Amino acid sequence: MQKIDNSKIAALKNILKKNELDGCIITDVNDLKYFIGSVFLHNGEAVMLASSNGFFLTARSLYEAPVSAAFPQIKTEGCDGDRPAKIVETARKMGLGNIAFDGGKEIYSAGKIYEKAGFKDIPGIIGSLRIAKTEDELEIMRSSAGILYGAFKYIRQFLKPGVSESQIARLLEDYMLKKGASGPSFPTIVAFGEGTSSPHYKTGEVKLKKNMPVMLDFGCYYEGYCSDITRTFWYGDKPAPKEFAEILKTVCEAHALVAARAKYGMSGAEIDAIARGHIEAAGFGKYFTHRTGHGIGLEPHESGDISQLNKEKIGLNYCFSVEPGIYLSGKFGARWEDCFYMTKNGIKIIE
Amino acid sequence: MKSSGEKLKKFQEILKKRGIGAFVVMDLASAVYLSDYRFKAQGDAYLLITPSRAFCFTKELYAITLRRAAPFLECINSLNPSDIVAKVKELKIKSAAFDPGLIEYLPGNMFKAAGFKELSGLISAAREVKLPDETAKIRKACHISAKAYEIFRKKLKTGMTEIAAARMLEDIMYSLGATGIAFETIMAFGPDGANPHHESGERKLKAEDAVLMDYGCSYHGYCSDITRTFWHGKKPSAEFKRIFKIVKAAHDLGIKSARAAMTGGALDAVCRGYMGSLAKHFIHSTGHGLGVQIHEPPWIRANSLSNLGCGSIFTIEPGIYFEGKLGIRWENTVLLTKRGAEILTK
Repeated sequence: MQKIDNSKIAALKNILKKNELDGCIITDVNDLKYFIGSVFLHNGEAVMLASSNGFFLTARSLYEAPVSAAFPQIKTEGCDGDRPAKIVETARKMGLGNIAFDGGKEIYSAGKIYEKAGFKDIPGIIGSLRIAKTEDELEIMRSSAGILYGAFKYIRQFLKPGVSESQIARLLEDYMLKKGASGPSFPTIVAFGEGTSSPHYKTGEVKLKKNMPVMLDFGCYYEGYCSDITRTFWYGDKPAPKEFAEILKTVCEAHALVAARAKYGMSGAEIDAIARGHIEAAGFGKYFTHRTGHGIGLEPHESGDISQLNKEKIGLNYCFSVEPGIYLSGKFGARWEDCFYMTKNGIKIIE
Repeated sequence: MKSSGEKLKKFQEILKKRGIGAFVVMDLASAVYLSDYRFKAQGDAYLLITPSRAFCFTKELYAITLRRAAPFLECINSLNPSDIVAKVKELKIKSAAFDPGLIEYLPGNMFKAAGFKELSGLISAAREVKLPDETAKIRKACHISAKAYEIFRKKLKTGMTEIAAARMLEDIMYSLGATGIAFETIMAFGPDGANPHHESGERKLKAEDAVLMDYGCSYHGYCSDITRTFWHGKKPSAEFKRIFKIVKAAHDLGIKSARAAMTGGALDAVCRGYMGSLAKHFIHSTGHGLGVQIHEPPWIRANSLSNLGCGSIFTIEPGIYFEGKLGIRWENTVLLTKRGAEILTK
């Protein structure tokens, strides 16, 4: 029998109580993963009713036996028809009346069924649970990040003239798999030369030559949790062009300033302003074309952005990336990224 | 690659015939299908299709590429559903529609308030029957995965972990020209095969062991899907031999019986019925369609009442599972023609 993390259940009960609810509907595959791990592959394969009376699950019949065996505490029913209607019926049978669903995570037809059953649309109800990580989650995220730091050390020996971007990407991914990752958490970015000037470069067949900028942006899934780092550096025996050295220095400084000055109580926008302010002061403001960071956890991008648009406070144990970048189109770019979490005493790197 | 826009034209013909003034598409797979452009994530682009025009609501970043790759799309730099409603008003379209099973709840409410109609199944019906170019790509993807099986068998060694074997299999597919992997490869040794959705792990292959591998590649955006179960070694257990024979025969019967205009439910019943009392260990559906998505209509399952179309492509994959002990599945991807099912994974 597998256990569901007690602190997650406590957090759920807390939210139900706060909203005066008997239960809430969980549909999103990553929200389900939060409670029971990697079981389902797609949205819509299962619906869970998490209530003060326990968990009720309706899933494709295929899952009934394995889920019942792993989680006997969840009442699981196989259903290959209309699962939302089935879970409404379960709620009725159990006498559960005040139930919420997240309209932002439902398909129209399912949302209508819940609406007709009198369930309440509360946007972001489960997302708000996932944003602050439990100690167990943080521990897994540290292991996930640890693989990346190892990978970065490992890959340097292969950076030789003639090696292609896709070969390096493949070696990074092989290393991550060997260290227990289940796969990359997004397409690995390896950019040699001009490719570094695109924030979303698609790894290609460009070959490494001496005296080129190199950018590596990669991450993995480890026990379901994501990690993400970016490193940019000059490869060669001649010193980097002055302009490249300057943008690299500026993004590294911006990154370090955020690490030092981001405090508990600040909003995503306030933390973003630390990095943006520094890059603007250096004269590269308009070349910093994205947010400073994004939330991270079960998904490579989650809520809790470090961006000008996020006026919400970054709470304790929120996990996010800090990745200032400067992109000089047609020439080169630089980005420096690590993931951090919020503590009472400021932010700490996840490593 | 520049798109011909053939699939969009086909869909616009359907709209014309049905008298639908505009149709909203917000799910990733349908947007990829109609635009013939591989957007990466849900929310990258939404489409508004009329019988004569096609609008793509997206980020400027994509609009630049799309002007070249899909010039038949008129790009609008917005991802706000209210701009879709505004466009419909601007064009004075009366009969706009959306699919309630493919649109999310919040934008769906907005469309409903604007008077759009709910209309299910229109896109899936279009996607189900493949165009020649789509069939050619799937055929290639299928051929690569079938060929990979032969090479893999020669390279598989006792002591390998599931993860290492899965990686080796994927490497072989890439070397044969695959452009991607269709889904996470399921490599299951011994009792791991009993879980139809096993996640490849650290289990090592024994000298005498059952191997179940369910995998597929993609070729320029189109998927293949194949499962092979075999005995590694020389002395398959009596139970392995007995169950394998039944599963393989159920599969062969499914292939032989598939006909255009048969329902998915009837084909499912053919395979399930053959197994007799063992059918209770056949805990999933007989098959699924595939194309730009690894799972898409038609559905070969008990409650599927829609007819299988000529030109549709789907899997036939019966399996029998004894929890904690053994699992056997045999799967091929087939093209349904007037003459019956043609196996593509060969």
